[in-house]
Amino acid sequence: MKKELATFLLLVALCAVVTALNPRFLSPANLQNTARLIGAFGIFSLGLGLVIITGGIDLSVGSAFALLGVLLSIMLTAWRLPWPVAVLIIIALGALMGAVHGLLVTRLQLQPFIVTLCGLLLYRGLARFIAADETKGFGDASGFQALQRLATGSVAGVPTPFIALVVASAVMWVVLHRSVYGRYLFATGRNEVAARYSGIRVNRVITSAYVILGVLTGLSAIIFAFYTNSVSPSSHGTFFELYGIAAAVLGGCSLRGGEGSIVGILIGASLLQVLQNLVNLLGIPSSLNFAVMGGVILIGVVGDQMLQNRSRRAAV
Amino acid sequence: MSHKTAVLLTCASLLALSGCSRAGTSKPQIAFITNNAADFWTIARKGVEKAAADTPDVTIEFRLGDGTAAEQKRIVDDLLAKGIGGLAISPVDPANQVTMLNDVSQRAVVFTQDSDAPDSKRECYIGTDNVAAGRQAGELIKEALPQGGKIALFVGKLDARNAQERLQGIKEAIAGTKVEILDIRTDDTDQVRAKANVSEMLVSHPEVAGLVGLWSYNGPAILNAVKDAGKTGQVKIITFDEDDETLSGVKAGAIVGTVVQQPYEFGYQSMTKLAKVVKGDRSVIPASHQIFIPTMVIRQSNVDEFRTKLKQLRGR
Repeated sequence: MKKELATFLLLVALCAVVTALNPRFLSPANLQNTARLIGAFGIFSLGLGLVIITGGIDLSVGSAFALLGVLLSIMLTAWRLPWPVAVLIIIALGALMGAVHGLLVTRLQLQPFIVTLCGLLLYRGLARFIAADETKGFGDASGFQALQRLATGSVAGVPTPFIALVVASAVMWVVLHRSVYGRYLFATGRNEVAARYSGIRVNRVITSAYVILGVLTGLSAIIFAFYTNSVSPSSHGTFFELYGIAAAVLGGCSLRGGEGSIVGILIGASLLQVLQNLVNLLGIPSSLNFAVMGGVILIGVVGDQMLQNRSRRAAV
Repeated sequence: MSHKTAVLLTCASLLALSGCSRAGTSKPQIAFITNNAADFWTIARKGVEKAAADTPDVTIEFRLGDGTAAEQKRIVDDLLAKGIGGLAISPVDPANQVTMLNDVSQRAVVFTQDSDAPDSKRECYIGTDNVAAGRQAGELIKEALPQGGKIALFVGKLDARNAQERLQGIKEAIAGTKVEILDIRTDDTDQVRAKANVSEMLVSHPEVAGLVGLWSYNGPAILNAVKDAGKTGQVKIITFDEDDETLSGVKAGAIVGTVVQQPYEFGYQSMTKLAKVVKGDRSVIPASHQIFIPTMVIRQSNVDEFRTKLKQLRGR
């Protein structure tokens, strides 16, 4: 809880500073914009957090967004599939990718880094090939306006991606923090061998974490595709996996596995989006965008580490 | 001993093979090399194919780059090894590829297209005059905002040469008017960020009267963000290039106009002229060593005609 608290305080402090400098930060339009992005980035970050808790990693998420986005566009605009079918196929494909990653990691004992790095290259290449290097769009969404509204709309002023994130978080919170499966997940991440000797089916636990990430990636892919309303296969989603990994780690997940929480991941994902939002709202030159992000995150983790060292010393 | 035999046999067969291929292609070879893979190049490819059909006595090859100088170097080395007579390249990083271009120019005729490397020993540049294109966009801005007003510009990377030149052209055109550039936001070709930048600009500067997208995907990003904010028609939009959504926006009147290049002509003219030079006719190269293909302004009045033409070129 300590780790989340530090990130949470940083988030609150940032929001307070930005509000003081530009009160428009709290305007409904800005809150909606930011909540929408937090939703889109938060959903797959939850899954990535889960995989990180098992001691794994997934670098292929951004490329998967491009591939799934291209396929979604083709299914809806060229094949004219009914949209619920297309959505199910996208989510199933996400789950399938996750299952393949999980099986390669557990059955063949391959390193998650290399498996998903190959995924990063493979999916990007497939996306570009399938799209013949052309941008795939959704046009005016004739025939699937309902899906477009669902992915980009708002309910009572709250953007649907944010609602989806809240629902996904609630489910994942129960799964991770209130179920036996969640216990197994933490146990596996902390010490795989011990978990195996305790009778936990470690392979299944790890594979299922990748499948859950795959499902959430599919969901995010649909939201991102409709957010931009077109998918350019060579650049769509590039580096987005890093936002997910950063959100999870900022939120207290350890890259060594066995540590992390849903609330923490949510705070981490929010922090990353607020950081980008403040660069624009405060009129900081775009060129400093990444520098601001890197700087603030570094301050956050340094502060967190110092607090922990102090409390550890106090405990001794 | 057996190893040596194997090596000898391999060498012999390779020699035989290369001998065969050389005998088969006594025609001069030329090539068209892109900087990356994008819709733009699909159209250029049609021009290259037309040139190939029109000049059957020359072999013409079309190669896609991947956005890196390293890949272009690999492609060029490949082509030189095959005995290429000339090439037209869109250098990714002109300033730092001068040495490579100069090396190539000793063994083959080098044209630059799309993006120029004026400091190199290239024979000729064929492409857009981006300053002039910027001026055309500037005229559109002045026309849309006769009373003046604040405008914001959006682009992927501001350090790219075409971004700088387009910006320069816009500045020249609006000099002395009441149009004022409020800010220029960059997105590093991340389309999600591109749209978020616009949304956040509309929040932080509600008084903004015009939005200008300098790169092709900035058009749809602006269009969608303005639509989401419910400000269609209130904020004037001026864009570059011919993304499908941009053209739909022009058609619907949501975009004042878009300045388009003619990549088909890049492909056709560079290849037909290069073919002549390779065969010894240097008269096609002007004294300025630059051939500008004019950009065109597409508005609601001529968008249908342009779309029809584009459809034919793209073959879909």
